[in-house]
Amino acid sequence: MAVYKRHYEPYAGPLTKRWSRPLVLTRYAVRELFRSRFFTGFFILSLVPVLGFAGYIFIANNSFLHTLLSLRARSATFPVESQFFAIFLEVQTSLAFLLTCWAAPTLVSGDLTNGALPLFLSRPLNRAEYVAGKFAVLGVLLSFMTWIPALLLLLLETGLGPGRWLIPHLWLIGPILWCSILWIVLLSLIALAASAWVKWRIIAMASIFGVFLIPAGFGQVLNATMRTNWGSLLDISRMFQEILWAGFHSSYQGGEGAIPRPATWAGLAVVCLICLRLLHARLRAFEVVRG
Amino acid sequence: MTPTIELCALEVHLGGRKILHGLEGTAHSRAIGLLGPNGAGKSTLINTLLGFHPPSSGTARVLGLDIRAASSELRSLVGYMPENDAFIARTTGIRFVRYMAEISGLPPGLALERAHEAFVYVGLGEARYRKLGTYSLGMKQLAKLAQAIVHGPRLLILDEPTNGLDPPGRKRLIALIREIRQAGDTHLLLSSHLLHDVEQACDEVLILRDGRIAGIINLEEERKANRRFLEMEVMGSGAGFSAGLGALGCECVTFGASRLKVVLPPGIEIHDVYRLAAQQNVRIRRLNYRRDSLEDIFLNAMGQAGVSNGRL
Repeated sequence: MAVYKRHYEPYAGPLTKRWSRPLVLTRYAVRELFRSRFFTGFFILSLVPVLGFAGYIFIANNSFLHTLLSLRARSATFPVESQFFAIFLEVQTSLAFLLTCWAAPTLVSGDLTNGALPLFLSRPLNRAEYVAGKFAVLGVLLSFMTWIPALLLLLLETGLGPGRWLIPHLWLIGPILWCSILWIVLLSLIALAASAWVKWRIIAMASIFGVFLIPAGFGQVLNATMRTNWGSLLDISRMFQEILWAGFHSSYQGGEGAIPRPATWAGLAVVCLICLRLLHARLRAFEVVRG
Repeated sequence: MTPTIELCALEVHLGGRKILHGLEGTAHSRAIGLLGPNGAGKSTLINTLLGFHPPSSGTARVLGLDIRAASSELRSLVGYMPENDAFIARTTGIRFVRYMAEISGLPPGLALERAHEAFVYVGLGEARYRKLGTYSLGMKQLAKLAQAIVHGPRLLILDEPTNGLDPPGRKRLIALIREIRQAGDTHLLLSSHLLHDVEQACDEVLILRDGRIAGIINLEEERKANRRFLEMEVMGSGAGFSAGLGALGCECVTFGASRLKVVLPPGIEIHDVYRLAAQQNVRIRRLNYRRDSLEDIFLNAMGQAGVSNGRL
């Protein structure tokens, strides 16, 4: 099918590996996102706190500065312990939430608005792979904001800190990874479900905010009127923060009365299942008219 | 030779209704037309062959591949041009087609090359860097065709490809489809309401009515048969006259009370028709000889299906 010949010829060239096809979706979507200057700027800005935390580690381990400022022992003035990483993840997960609100609304809706989904699904790509490809967009971006810099900070502290610092703190890798992954999964599924069901960007952004804020407010009212803590199960970010702080062996300071841990996990699992169900219902190559 | 499409008691339920009723049949030709009135199940059949709808029972094979067992493998051989709008408005034409090619498995460099070639081939070379949202309806149809052929599929499924095109555009699209069909080993499944389009592009037609197969007809063989065809307009009892013609051994389809299409079997001549009309006091106001067109074949199949379903 050469341009100058203008006649049709079937393709007989090489093909990429089957498993790599969903990554095409990821690559195109990431490239599309970074075409926006606002998004690129926000993404870079969201890495600024990482520099701040890295600066803190540098100062904490700089004996010259300590002498200059006549500071007390390093560990008392600048502790780099589990709380340090919990605070870091709390800051970064908040920024990740804002970035998702901006990036996610067009991820799926762009393909649904003008009926492009059947074109994807008529190729060797099923619905699960389609969702995986789109999920990976947020997965990659949010990883660069959460667990990757957290592990880099851990490495930095290992390099600059007192000898053998890593060995008693090795367990921190666990909560860093699973708390970040939990937040990425939760946020991505909520955002993809919103993008699948809401066509307009602003409304999709508002709905992502709404999912976090409206049930949380309702939960607070429930807590106040019923004199219980179970209303907090409607507050997604609170459930996550309780898990985050517990993961770093600290207690959550943001509210009164802790919800039982299994209930928190169950609450977040239910949110994920609802999002998957919404995606399953919406991502179809056809419309079924009932009756 | 492996049949292009093989339907084995294929049944599909959607939204609580049975849409396809145990379809059974085989189509061998390179280019198959899918005909039927609205709601006959054409798009459902296409969606089922593509694996979008799971069959409730039975199965189908496309190019020898079972739609249940080898769905993914099958979809790698297929290029699909859907009936409705299918594009990403904010991307340029070339980027969209390249994207589709890469999902089909072409490496990025070759996908870009093929996307350019496909765009030039369908006649959108000048518009390839424009955003798809700015395309006219005809251009969108051509862009859909470009994405369907970019990966060089073995089976091209076109669902109402000429929808919304002006006559020259339609003619060009049909010419492209004929050319694609003749090139290499590409098979074609064309669903259309426009019998003329199907007649021009296909060798065989699969006619659906109410989710049942009304006929699988090889057009070439049908044309060769050169059956004698009469078109008549009568005054008087058309129904009685039609029944009388049936008794003579003629195949007869009526349109309203006065128009009939009749196939004369061997041994029956036109004066027998006049004699019957005289006997039944029916006046023949117009009578034309015609050879079978696809319209006749279609209407005949529709009529037969109606009879076989117990109603006309």
